[in-house]
Amino acid sequence: MTDKPIRIAVDIGGTFTDLQIMDARDGSVRAWKTPTTPEDPSIGLLRGVGEASGRFGFALDQVGLLLHGTTIATNAVLERKLARGVLLTTAGFEDVLEITRHVRRELYAVDPDPFPCLVERDRRLGVAERMRADGSVETALDEAAMPALLARLDALGAEAVAVCLLHSYVNPAHEQRLKALLRAARPGLPVSLSSEVSPEIREYERSSTTVLNALLVPVVKAYLDRLEAKLGEGGFRPLVFLVQSNGGVCSLRTAAEQPARLLLSGPSGGALAAGRIAQLLDRPNLVAVDMGGTSFDVSVVQGGRVSVITQGEIDRLPVRLPMVEMRTIGAGGGSIASVDHGGRLTVGPRSAGARPGPVAYGRGGVEPTVTDANLALGRLDPDYFLGGAMKLDMPATRAAIAARVGTPLGLSVEQAAQGMLTVTNANLGAAVRLSLFEKGLDPREFSMLSFGGAGGLHATDVAAEMGIAEVIFPREPGTLSAYGILYSDLVQDIARSRVMPAVAGSLAEVGALLAELRATADARLAADGVAAGARHIEVAVDMRYHGQAFELLVPWGDVAAPDASALDALLGRFHAMHRQRFSYSDPKEAVEIVTLRVIATGLLPKPEAAEPQPADRRALKGTRRVFEEGAWRDIPVWDREALPPEDIITGPAIVEEPFATHYISRGWTARLGAAGALIARTTP
Amino acid sequence: MTLGPIEIEVIRNALTAAAAEMDVTVWRTSRSTIVRELLDYSTAVFDAEGNNLAQSARIPSHLNSMSHFLRELLDKWVDVNDWRPDDVVISNDPYCGGQHLPDITAFKPVFHEGRRIAFVGTLCHHIDVGGLVAGSYAAKAIEIFQEGLRIPPVKLIEKGVRNEGVWAMIRQNIRKPDLLLGDLQSQIASLEVGAAALRRLATRYGADGMIEAGARILDMSEAAMRAAIGRMPDGTYEFTDWLDDDGIDLDKPIRLHVAVTIAGESISVDMSGCSPQVQGPTNATLASSNAAVMFAVMCACDEPFAANAGCYRPISTFAPEGSVVNARHPAPVVHRIAVTHRLLNAMFGALHQAVPDRIPAAYYGNSYVCTFQTVAADARREVLVEIEIGGTGAHPKKDGVNALSSGMHNNSNIPIEMIEAQAPLTITRYELLAGSGGVGMRRGGLGLAREWRIDSPRCFFTANMDRFVHAPYGLAGGGPAAVGRLVLVRDGIESPMPPKSDNVPLQQGDRIRLETSGGGGFGDPAQRAPEAAARDRQLGYV
Repeated sequence: MTDKPIRIAVDIGGTFTDLQIMDARDGSVRAWKTPTTPEDPSIGLLRGVGEASGRFGFALDQVGLLLHGTTIATNAVLERKLARGVLLTTAGFEDVLEITRHVRRELYAVDPDPFPCLVERDRRLGVAERMRADGSVETALDEAAMPALLARLDALGAEAVAVCLLHSYVNPAHEQRLKALLRAARPGLPVSLSSEVSPEIREYERSSTTVLNALLVPVVKAYLDRLEAKLGEGGFRPLVFLVQSNGGVCSLRTAAEQPARLLLSGPSGGALAAGRIAQLLDRPNLVAVDMGGTSFDVSVVQGGRVSVITQGEIDRLPVRLPMVEMRTIGAGGGSIASVDHGGRLTVGPRSAGARPGPVAYGRGGVEPTVTDANLALGRLDPDYFLGGAMKLDMPATRAAIAARVGTPLGLSVEQAAQGMLTVTNANLGAAVRLSLFEKGLDPREFSMLSFGGAGGLHATDVAAEMGIAEVIFPREPGTLSAYGILYSDLVQDIARSRVMPAVAGSLAEVGALLAELRATADARLAADGVAAGARHIEVAVDMRYHGQAFELLVPWGDVAAPDASALDALLGRFHAMHRQRFSYSDPKEAVEIVTLRVIATGLLPKPEAAEPQPADRRALKGTRRVFEEGAWRDIPVWDREALPPEDIITGPAIVEEPFATHYISRGWTARLGAAGALIARTTP
Repeated sequence: MTLGPIEIEVIRNALTAAAAEMDVTVWRTSRSTIVRELLDYSTAVFDAEGNNLAQSARIPSHLNSMSHFLRELLDKWVDVNDWRPDDVVISNDPYCGGQHLPDITAFKPVFHEGRRIAFVGTLCHHIDVGGLVAGSYAAKAIEIFQEGLRIPPVKLIEKGVRNEGVWAMIRQNIRKPDLLLGDLQSQIASLEVGAAALRRLATRYGADGMIEAGARILDMSEAAMRAAIGRMPDGTYEFTDWLDDDGIDLDKPIRLHVAVTIAGESISVDMSGCSPQVQGPTNATLASSNAAVMFAVMCACDEPFAANAGCYRPISTFAPEGSVVNARHPAPVVHRIAVTHRLLNAMFGALHQAVPDRIPAAYYGNSYVCTFQTVAADARREVLVEIEIGGTGAHPKKDGVNALSSGMHNNSNIPIEMIEAQAPLTITRYELLAGSGGVGMRRGGLGLAREWRIDSPRCFFTANMDRFVHAPYGLAGGGPAAVGRLVLVRDGIESPMPPKSDNVPLQQGDRIRLETSGGGGFGDPAQRAPEAAARDRQLGYV
C-alpha cells in the first residue's frame, strides 16, 4: 500500500491534538501534543506534524500513512452546524422522525424536552409509494409528482436530502430511483439513501441514522477538501484514513459519502489501544476505564476482542451503525460534591466541566470537585499539574471543601476530601462491576486498564473495591487514543436486514444475500488499495427466537455459501450465546434471522515497536506530604519517564508524568512491564 | 459501630447498586417479551421492617408499590418469625396488597449474624395469568375471578426447596406456563443476587451497621422531603377529573376528586370525593392509588430525590373502602392503570394551585392498549399488542411535547417494519395529529394517529382506552386537548368503535384508525408569542 517508513496517528480532541509517530526503520514510537484549532482542525493537525518532524527528525515526504481520528462529525451534530436538509419518506409516515420511539428518559420531569429532531416537520416530505415487508411493491413510485417535489426542494433551499422509505432494506428500488431522478434534475445536491447508509429494519433508527448522514455530508466533505488541499506541502503526501465508530479506519471517499460512520469514533482509539495492550501484555480479559474531567467510560476486552455493538446514539439520537461498546457515567475530576437539605453528601452527576472547572484551577469555580479533593489530600502537586503548566490554588480549594462539605457534615477538610474520594471510588467501582455483571463476567478474572487525565488517581482504589488484583497504567496515558489508532485496520461493515426463519429453506436466499454483501465489501477494500491477501472477511448474523423484539449478534466465521451443516453450527452458537447471556436456551423454539452482516478487514502492516528506554535521571523524585489512612505522611514520588524496569514501587506512592498523576495505594506494588506499561498488583 | 455521613452515602449507593444488579438479572434471565422489551418489572431492597430503601423502577406505577405490598404481608398474612432465610414468598393478589393479577411479586428476607437485616423483592408483569382472555386483560370482567389466577401470599420456596404443589397449581391455570414459570425463575435468581450483595455489604458494616444505615437513609430522605414540602404554600387544594366509563355502564363517568392539604412540612390527600367502585375492571386498590399520589408529589418538588420510603413518610392518604381508588373484594381491577392515570391528572390539577410555576396541564392520561389476533387461512395465529400514547401537557415555561410517553406508564412503540415482517397487518399511517394539543400561551403537545389494515382473512380486536369524552384539561386559561377517536373503516365507510371491547371480529381489508389526545394548553392563548404561533402554522401543528 505504501513503502514509506513513517506512520502517524492523530487524535483531535477539544483542547489538544495528540500525535503518535512510528518509524518502521527503528521501531520507535513517539508522542506529540499541540493545541487544537477548532475553527479548522486540519490547521492544528498539519502544524503538529510539522513540529513533530522538526523535533523527531523525519522528513515529511517519508510519511506513508496518516491515520486520522476526528470529532468533526460529532461536534457538528452537538453544535448543530449542519446542512439544511430535507427528508423524503413514504407518504403517511413523515412524522416517524419526530414521534421517535417515544419512551421518556426522565421519570419525574414535568417539563421534559422533546427528543432532538434535526429535520422539522415542514421539511419532511411524503412520496407516494409503498413496499411490503417481503420486498414486493404495493404502490409504485409516483414519478409524476417529481416536478412538484423538486419545486418544493428548491423553495426549502435544500442543501442535502435524506431518503428513508419503508422496507427499503429489503427492496431499495424506490430509493434508488428517487436518487437517480434527483441526480439528473439537481446534480449538485447530495442524496443519502437509508438503503445505503444503514439498510437495517426499524424505520425510526434507520431514518435517524440517514438524516444524520445527509446533514453531515456537506460539512465533512468541506473539511476533507480543505485537508486534501493542504496535502503536498513540504512533500507531505501520505495515504489518509479516518477512524470510524467501529474501531477501524476507512478511506476518504467512504468518509465523505458516509460521514455518519465517524460519529461515535471517539471511543475507538482507546478501545483499539486496549485491544493492542491486551495482546502485548497477554491479558485477554481487560476492563478499560477512561476517566477525564466529566465522564468515566468503561469498555471491555474479552478473550482479546473489544466488544462492539450495532447501535449507539449521539445527543439522544440513535445511530444504527456498529460502534465500540462503552458504558459512560457522569463522574470525573470535575464532579461536584454537595450536601443536600437532608444532610446527604453526593458527588456528581453535576460537573464543573472545563469552565469554570475545579476550584483549584482558579477560573471562578466555587463548588468543590473530585480534583479539588485530590489536591487537598496532597495526591496532586499544586506546582506540577500538566507538568507544571498550570498552578493550582490550594488555599481556595481547602476553603471550598471546608465551607461546602466539611462544615455541613461536621468533618475536617481532610476527612471531607477523603470522604469525597471514598464515595466517588465506590460509585466508579459499581459502574465497572455492572458493566461486567450484565455480560455474566466475574471481575476477579479481569485486569483493569486505567487511562485518561484523572483515572490514575483512582484506579487502585476502584480495583480494590471490586476485587480486581491488577491495574495496568499504559505508557503515555494522555495520548493513548492516538496510540490505539496507530494500530488500526481498514474495516468495512455492511449489513442487510431480511427477516426469515433460520431453517434450511432459507439457505438459498441467505447465500445469495451473502454473496452480494461479500462482493460489495471486497470491491470496497480493493478500491481502497488493499491487496487480496490482506483482506479478511467475517460474517455475523443478528438472530432471535420468534416473538422476541431484539437480536443477538452471532458470529458465523468466513462463510460464503452456507449449507445445512453451516446453518446447524450457527444455530448451535445462537442457542449457546443465548444461554450464556440470558441463562436459558430452547433448541425446540423457532429461530429467526433478522440481519446479515459482513465485516471486511483490510489488514494494514504492523511494524514492531521497540521497547522504550527510561530517561536518564533519578526515578525517585523525592517525597510529598499526603493525607493517607487518617494522617499526614511523607510518601515517595516517582518519575514515570525515568523508571527503570528493575525498580519496585511500594504503595502508598505517587507516580508522576507530564500529563497524568497515578496514586498507588497501600497494599499495592508496581513495576514496569512490557511496552512500557506500569503494572500494579495487590494480593486479593 | 457509628456510621459517618461518608459511610451512609457509600451504603446508600451500594443498596442502589444491589437493586440494579437484581434488575440486570431479571433482564438477562427472563423469558417473555413483556419483561425484557416493555421493561415492565421492578426490583427493590427493603429494611428489615419492609420499608423501601432503594429501587430500580422505570415505571411510576411501581413506585413504592412493593413496599406497600410487603408491609401488608408482614402485617396481615405472613408470620415474620416463621419467614426463614431460604423462604421465598410470592403473591399477585390486589386484595392482599398488590395492584393487579398479572403482577407477581416475590420477596425474600436477608440475614446476617443470625439477624434479619433486610428484604429483597422483585415485581414482574407476567404475560398471562389465566382468566377470561389471553393476556389476562379482560375489558368486560365484572369480578376478579374472571381476571385470572389469584395467588395468595404463599411460600413458593421453603427452606430452599421448591413447593411443588404451588408450582403445579400455577402451571395448570395459565396459558403460557413455560414463559410464566421461566420469568418466575428469573425473579428468584434476582432475589438471590440481591441477597448476596447485601450479605457482602454486611460483612463490612455488620448487622447493626446495616440496620443503622437503613434508618438513617430513610430519615435523611424524609428530612429532605419535608424541607421541600415546607417550601410549598400551606392550604387545601381540590381538583376533579373524570374517566369516561368502566366499559360496562357506558353513560356513567367515573369521578376522581382529590383534596390536597399542605400543612407545614406534610401533605395529606383526601380521595373521599372519588366515585364508588365500578362494575368493570376500572378500579384500583391502595397499592395503585398511593403510587399515583406519591409520584405526583415527587414530581411537584423543586429538587430531585432518590425514591425510598423516607420520602413517602410526610405524605398521608385517605381513600374510603369501596371507592374506585380503594376497591373492595371481589371488584375487578386489571385496568387499575386507567385509574392511576386519571388520579395523577387530578393530583396535578390540585398541585397546580399550590405551585403554579411547576405543574403542567393534563397529559393524555391513558394507556391506549389494543390487541390484534390475526388468523391466517391455515389457522396460524399471530398476536400483536400495541400500547400507544399522546401528547404532554403544556408547562408554564414550555410547550408540551408531541407524542411522548408520560405519567404513570412509560413504553416505546413497536417499529412498523417489525410488525409487518411478522404479522398479516399493514400500518397505513403513523403521524402527529394537527390541532390535538390544547391552545394556550404554551401549546399542549400533539397526540398522534395510527392506522392498521387487516391482511388476514380473520382478526379479533380488543381495546381498552379512555379520554374519548372527557378531554385532558388546560390550566390558567389554556384550552383542553382534543379527545381521542377509534374508527373502523370498512368498504370506505367510517364508523366509530367502542374504546373498551373484547374480541371484536374484523375481516380482511378493514382498517382501524386510532387518534390519541394531545396535552392541555397552559395560559391565555392570546398571550402566545406571535413567532411561536407562526411556527405552529408553518409546521402544521395547528
